[in-house]
Amino acid sequence: MAGCDDVLSYFLRRLILVLPVAFGVSVVCFMLVQIAPGDPLTAIMPVDATAEQQAAMRAAYGLDKPLPVQYLIWIANLLQGEMGRSIASGRPVAGEVFGAVSNSLLLAGAAAVIAFPIGTFLGFLAGYFRDTILDRFITALSITGVSVPNYWLGIVLVIIFSVNLGWLPSMGAGPGGSQDWHWDWAHIRHLVLPAVTLAVVPIGIVARTVRALAGDILSMDFVQALYAKGLSRGDVLRHVARNAAATALSVMGLQLGYLLGGSILIETVFNWPGSGFLLSNAIFQRDLPLLQGTILILAMFFVGMNLIVDVAQAAIDPRIKRT
Amino acid sequence: MFQLRKGLAALALSVAVLGAHGAAAQGTLRIGMTASDIPLTTGQTDQGGEGLRFMGYTVYDALINWDLTSADKPSVLTPGLATEWSVDPEDTTKWTFKLREGVTFHDGSTFNAENVVWNLDKLLVEDSEQYDPRQSAQGKSRIPAIASYRTVDDYTLEIITKEPDATLPYQLAWIMMSSKANWEAQDKDWEKVAEHPSGTGPWQLETFVPRERAEMVPYPEYWDETRVPQLDKMILIPLPESNARSAALMSGQVDWIEAPAPDTIPAMEGNGFVITSNAYPHNWTWHLSRVEGSPWNDIRVRKAANLAIDREGMGALLGGLMIPAEGFVPPNSQWFGNPDFKLTYDIEAAQELMTEAGFGPDNHLQVKALISPSGSGQMLPLPMNEYIQQSLAEAWIDVEFMVVEWNQMINLWRAGAADPAVEGAQSINFTYFIQDPFTGFIRHLDCDLIAPNGTNWGHYCDEDMQDLFKKIKTTFDPEEQDALLRTTHEKYVNDALFLMVTHDVAPRAMSPKVQGFVQSQNWYQNFSSITMAE
Amino acid sequence: MSQVETAVPAPTHRGYWSLVMSRLLRDPVAMACLAVLVLLVCSAIFAPWLGLADPYKGSMIARLKPLGTPGYLLGTDEQGRDMLSRLIYGGRLTLFIGLMPVVLAFFIGGALGIVAGYVGGITNTIIMRVVDVFFAFPSVLLAIAISGALGAGVLNSLVSLTIVFIPPVTRVAEAVTSGVRQLDYIDAARASGANALTVIRVHVIGNVLSPVFVYATSLTSVCMILAAGLSFLGIGVRPPEPEWGLMLNTLRSAIYVNPWLAALPGVMIFATSLCLNLLSDGLRSAMNVRD
Repeated sequence: MAGCDDVLSYFLRRLILVLPVAFGVSVVCFMLVQIAPGDPLTAIMPVDATAEQQAAMRAAYGLDKPLPVQYLIWIANLLQGEMGRSIASGRPVAGEVFGAVSNSLLLAGAAAVIAFPIGTFLGFLAGYFRDTILDRFITALSITGVSVPNYWLGIVLVIIFSVNLGWLPSMGAGPGGSQDWHWDWAHIRHLVLPAVTLAVVPIGIVARTVRALAGDILSMDFVQALYAKGLSRGDVLRHVARNAAATALSVMGLQLGYLLGGSILIETVFNWPGSGFLLSNAIFQRDLPLLQGTILILAMFFVGMNLIVDVAQAAIDPRIKRT
Repeated sequence: MFQLRKGLAALALSVAVLGAHGAAAQGTLRIGMTASDIPLTTGQTDQGGEGLRFMGYTVYDALINWDLTSADKPSVLTPGLATEWSVDPEDTTKWTFKLREGVTFHDGSTFNAENVVWNLDKLLVEDSEQYDPRQSAQGKSRIPAIASYRTVDDYTLEIITKEPDATLPYQLAWIMMSSKANWEAQDKDWEKVAEHPSGTGPWQLETFVPRERAEMVPYPEYWDETRVPQLDKMILIPLPESNARSAALMSGQVDWIEAPAPDTIPAMEGNGFVITSNAYPHNWTWHLSRVEGSPWNDIRVRKAANLAIDREGMGALLGGLMIPAEGFVPPNSQWFGNPDFKLTYDIEAAQELMTEAGFGPDNHLQVKALISPSGSGQMLPLPMNEYIQQSLAEAWIDVEFMVVEWNQMINLWRAGAADPAVEGAQSINFTYFIQDPFTGFIRHLDCDLIAPNGTNWGHYCDEDMQDLFKKIKTTFDPEEQDALLRTTHEKYVNDALFLMVTHDVAPRAMSPKVQGFVQSQNWYQNFSSITMAE
Repeated sequence: MSQVETAVPAPTHRGYWSLVMSRLLRDPVAMACLAVLVLLVCSAIFAPWLGLADPYKGSMIARLKPLGTPGYLLGTDEQGRDMLSRLIYGGRLTLFIGLMPVVLAFFIGGALGIVAGYVGGITNTIIMRVVDVFFAFPSVLLAIAISGALGAGVLNSLVSLTIVFIPPVTRVAEAVTSGVRQLDYIDAARASGANALTVIRVHVIGNVLSPVFVYATSLTSVCMILAAGLSFLGIGVRPPEPEWGLMLNTLRSAIYVNPWLAALPGVMIFATSLCLNLLSDGLRSAMNVRD
């Protein structure tokens, strides 16, 4: 294990590298909405608003200023935690986005809780029993998992389990909305279908990664050496697991980030009030401040996730440390 | 399969009810809306017709309301917070409104004339303390006639219009009255009012979670006893995606959905869900360009196109949930009249007209049409437009589509047919709210409202029509005004001024437990009569 | 994202490729997938000569016919258009926007990565920091954000997906190139005064190509699903063009009337993506590249 100081200095070095990326991300988020055609205010004005009313609105939202000025104003506000107001709803973007991101985290977390143990277990089995029927079966299963369009799977699951069988709800984040979330079955049952749907791809990816890792490590010299030393199968397995942990961790960390960013289609299908749902509303209503805010927060979360994974990896296995 | 499934669904539902929550208590109606967010709650709503339907006419009243109690006849105006109104015969710009006494807002304060002035200032006077740009954006353009207003006494209000305008009562039916006392109690902050709004309407907003749900309870002190809601609670849930809406209804998560997808209706009916629908003032047309050089300037081409569409055949696409257009307004409208030109399907007649106009099987007319793949009230725009494209081809009219996003479409609609942004498109597929004389007729074809100054997209300008519009505005006797509106509509149809295709019937799907709903022929609805069966 | 093994300087002589081919030929799964893909691509390309019904022409009377209806082998869609024809024609756009972004990303990202890895220094820093910025977005999010901003359309989808896949390809190409660059024989070539372009062309590309190529093939399935997903959301291909994601979207409400019909486009996406994944796996083991 690496010393604490090592990890800390590594963390600080990574952090410095992250700053320019964060700046770049903010520029991309800002520019993203500038390339959008059409007038962002269209969605909120009554269809027969006069030209004069439109101009007044534009000025009120600061959309009449030159781009660099708009960017500076935006970033300055951002640093004070002020993300502007949603054009469509008039509510502060920060509140909307954080509420939605926490709902998405709940969903992504639930999917991860389903996907990671199952994926690891399957991958491990496949890797351990390499080139057996079991391995073939699991490999086929995991390839199927990563090949299925999950938004389509979601629709199919709704038809079967909500509409036809009536076992599970088809939409929403609980009987009283997300603000009323409790850890009881009445609420958790709302989580089941979207979380399972979302978990399918990471199950496949994690299983494939773990299989490759387990297979590689098992074929390495030191494992043979361990056997030679007379260790039991279980002890060897424990060694192998520890060796694989660092890489598996990095894959899972990144998968969690992908789950968060990739849930947009699933959230649309299940009407889950998360960041993806918010984003698709923002896109269709051309709600620029909301669009910017949501993408920025998600991207920053992803950047942070990468940082944590890097550092955690370095802490577990010092050999991986890269500059 | 379906029997089994129903049993299981009922079982699951009862388990859910008995379970931790008991949210689906008796007398709670849960509605899946098509909007993606809860409409603005402060008074003047956003989210178009749906906003006023669920958050306007429920929590608030206008001075003059729409009568939503009958399903059989076209919906008309009815006294709301004003009991009677009249125009000064000497000076037809001067209106006097007698206001209803003894009306209280949900917060307990009393409604009076001062409140109306305060509400109009909220929309029209930018330097007033209570001016709210969000509500103003929704309400200001609805009352273009108003020049000034004042209180005469506590329950009498005077409004002066810019010019004589007999459509003022219709305009006022748009304007919702919020409570001044509540705004003051909420630190004069509209944000806070949004959380705790107060109107005079039959429903009080209890709680709302943005984008997820709004819960309303009855207001027992409502001034019209017949409209005090019978339910314990009404819950609104935004469900913009149509399949998610259908699934939510069929899995028992909501009791009522707006606008079910036509193809899901047979499955719903097969499972005992009830589909309601009714005519209402809506139309689905191609608004034709009348700028120099447009082929639609030729009345023969316009008539031919109108004759080339098998409107009944289009019904299959919509699960029969449509009313084939016979004119610009629905056939049972009080303003339909008796036009000579009949919108039948007659391809021979269409081809004859096209031949007269100089076209033929080897000489097709090329037109370019603006359409959008989605949009509020647009029904199923893509399949319907593709159907029209196929139909018009039979009459030697080749349609090239210019497909744009809905928001962009609204911009192009505002810009008008002559704007370079429409890239020479000669028609725009737009559905219209045609509930009153202004939105129904005047705004589309008035010479003074040619886009971009107004919403006369096609730049149509005709002396006779202009004359009719002027008379509508200056005829204060409702019956005479209706007669003029009928004449106007006859001219709309006889001159084939639009490609008139169909009317929506506002389909709704609901659980058989929903009882007592009367679907009025209006964009708004009355929810007070509804009860939930066991 | 998994790290790519950098030190795999595969030999570049012709024998290597024929070895790969012969290994691939002996992999029945990969060959079956290749056959399916070739069939899909060919039928898409030659669709107009297959005697299919017009994929755009519908009939209101014949809408939503079930599979196996006489005259409509795979039924008809919500407009009464022949599903078989639309699925085959749909392959054109679907495969195009599903594969083209990866091809473009392979060339653009590959070139950027090779330049960054070979030249190093400030050029490397600039290229790789910009790549880092785009890499900071989860791919689905970035694709949807760009497409959402640009609006629907084939070209817009192509642009957004290409932007999404350039950064990962660039990273891999850069890592492999940096590894190769340090090898002795490249040093020798550089020392002998060979021109940089020549060195890149002769030595670097040959060594870098195969791992980057294998990596790119592993992206194709993701790209397919994502491209169809954009259309499914309504920000990809515009109607009435046949495209599987869009067909899935427009047939969604028919799922209660005719579930098998509504499932067809989903099956096509799934099958194609499965074949792409399996073929990529086969290629990977044939080329002996590990990740």
